[in-house]
Amino acid sequence: MSKKQITVALAGNPNSGKTTVFNNLTGARQHVGNWPGVTVEKKEGFCNFQGNRIRVVDLPGVYSLTAYSLDEVIARDYVVDEKPDVAVDIVDASNLERNLYLAVQFLEMKANLVIALNMMDVAESRGYQIDIKELSRLLGTPVVPMVASKNQGTEDLLELVVGITTGNIQVSGINIQYGHDVEEEIAKLEKLASSNSLAESYSPRWLAVKLLEDDREIIKKIRQT
Amino acid sequence: MDKLEIIRAKDESLDHLRKVHGDDAETLIADARYGFISGLIKDVLKKPAVEKETTTDKIDRLILNRWLGIPIFLAILYGVFQFTFVVSEPIINWINAGLDWLAGLTSGISPAWLGSLVADGIIGGVGAVLSFIPIIFLLYIALSILEDTGYLSRAAFVMDRLMHRIGLHGRSFVTLMLGFGCTVPAVMSSRTIENPHDRLVTILVTPLMSCGAKLPVYALLAAAFFTAYQGLVVFSMYAIGVVLMILLAWLFRKKMIPGESGHFVMELPPYRLPTVITVLAHMWERGWAFLSRAGTLIFGAVVLIWLLNYFDILEHIGRAIAPVFATAGFGQWQSAVALVFGVLAKEAVVGAFGTLFAGAETAGGFGSIIGTQLGWTPLVAFAFMTMILLYIPCVAALGAIKKETVSWKWTLFTVAYTLALGWVVATLIYQVGSLFI
Repeated sequence: MSKKQITVALAGNPNSGKTTVFNNLTGARQHVGNWPGVTVEKKEGFCNFQGNRIRVVDLPGVYSLTAYSLDEVIARDYVVDEKPDVAVDIVDASNLERNLYLAVQFLEMKANLVIALNMMDVAESRGYQIDIKELSRLLGTPVVPMVASKNQGTEDLLELVVGITTGNIQVSGINIQYGHDVEEEIAKLEKLASSNSLAESYSPRWLAVKLLEDDREIIKKIRQT
Repeated sequence: MDKLEIIRAKDESLDHLRKVHGDDAETLIADARYGFISGLIKDVLKKPAVEKETTTDKIDRLILNRWLGIPIFLAILYGVFQFTFVVSEPIINWINAGLDWLAGLTSGISPAWLGSLVADGIIGGVGAVLSFIPIIFLLYIALSILEDTGYLSRAAFVMDRLMHRIGLHGRSFVTLMLGFGCTVPAVMSSRTIENPHDRLVTILVTPLMSCGAKLPVYALLAAAFFTAYQGLVVFSMYAIGVVLMILLAWLFRKKMIPGESGHFVMELPPYRLPTVITVLAHMWERGWAFLSRAGTLIFGAVVLIWLLNYFDILEHIGRAIAPVFATAGFGQWQSAVALVFGVLAKEAVVGAFGTLFAGAETAGGFGSIIGTQLGWTPLVAFAFMTMILLYIPCVAALGAIKKETVSWKWTLFTVAYTLALGWVVATLIYQVGSLFI
């Protein structure tokens, strides 16, 4: 068995139980630093699983990956620039619809995403029935049910993480269609973006979408090329 | 230049889409994502036909009530301070008894100067600060509970309408509430405020929220001068801070930093019962700063105060500054010295008094000595407490303000306006109060 280090980025909405999952994964082996260039707290920890050393990086809790707040930019840049082996999005199962907005944006970025469907107990107590298989199929990404407050599902999550890094599990992702008119403009911009040096780290389609969102960080980056 | 070509093409696309749809492309893209998700949800999620009203909904109906929301918020805040004071009192008494014993033990050390340094300087000064640590820890327990249960977000929601009226957003209120704990993390939390004008004004007024380090000063003076009304007097400090915060935020927004305030939805997470471990961990994380500061910064400050006092320099420094505060009733050199050292850390004010009055320890605690030695009346003590509440934020807070505003101008502005505000309010309280008492 290979003994390589796997880097996992932990993302999720505020109040999705992200901190609890982080604690379950890393126990006491954590340390706190700062994100480069800014003074936002950065938590990191380690765990060992099936002979793999897994580094877990806790991203700021965000609802979206636009450029409106510093936390959002940090979360997004980490996934794009540092290319963690796996990004885990903690999703509150009792609030599925709203929480998926973030997951969809990670999938648009072509991140290696695992969805940890947390707070299954709360969802069940409200009588919600979630078809996990179908959710996983439609999003093109593995989904694991969890109850982090009772430390349930942690091992299953780690198995998926390892499975993705060994190539046993594939993330196919989604291609959201933004409607005929928007797609036409995306196609134009995508072509221009693919010749820009930013296309080395960002997918041209994603760059085109961000340009249409008038994303100030991406525009700044393009101006700097 | 291909990069300018891209930007130009983007602007053309945006114009085109705006013409065709009358909506920003950003909205169209967000709509497409929501459309995708709601389609997905129909396939994968089955909800019961009639949704049960959750416990969160039931509690929120009361807590977020249009008329009861703000009174409930104030009542909870008042409860927090009562809890802090009632529970900490016996613990503080034990600590004081221990410190008295220790001071008696060490005052005999020879040579005499060393005995004085240890007993008066270190035990008197650092000990005075340490004895109030239980208050700070209990305050942090209470704030953790408010935050971890989800109540803090409700408080922000309840205050949202009022905040809009002063030109800020409810989200600013979360930052301001965190200022009750410590200004440093509060100022840092302002990053969640999207609108840069909102954020700047929020940072500027956060120091007016009474932080944990100011509490020992209130506790010391309230116990000495307002025996029967301690809780109320301390609560009034917090209330004065909030009222002035509202006034100044409104003023800054109107006169100096105008512009639309941001509009977005306030998030209301479901209520959670926080685990004991989480609350204690949060308390420790925040309280540790005070404990370690007592051993480092406060220790250094009291040794310096003791040295300057021993060589008769301190009084000269104090006398040079003191006349400025005569209009507010506390024109004594000792209180001027305390104010100077309070800029290092607010609890150093207690440390300074502890060192300066260590020789005169009595059974009533050294708080009452301040009254006799300085000739203070309860009115002067109250004016001094408002000065502590309002004047210059401590160096750590100023560092955070500099970091977050990335501007020396705004940092120095904060120093200047808080000092002026503290002086004006303390003077007003003393002068107007003197007319009636």
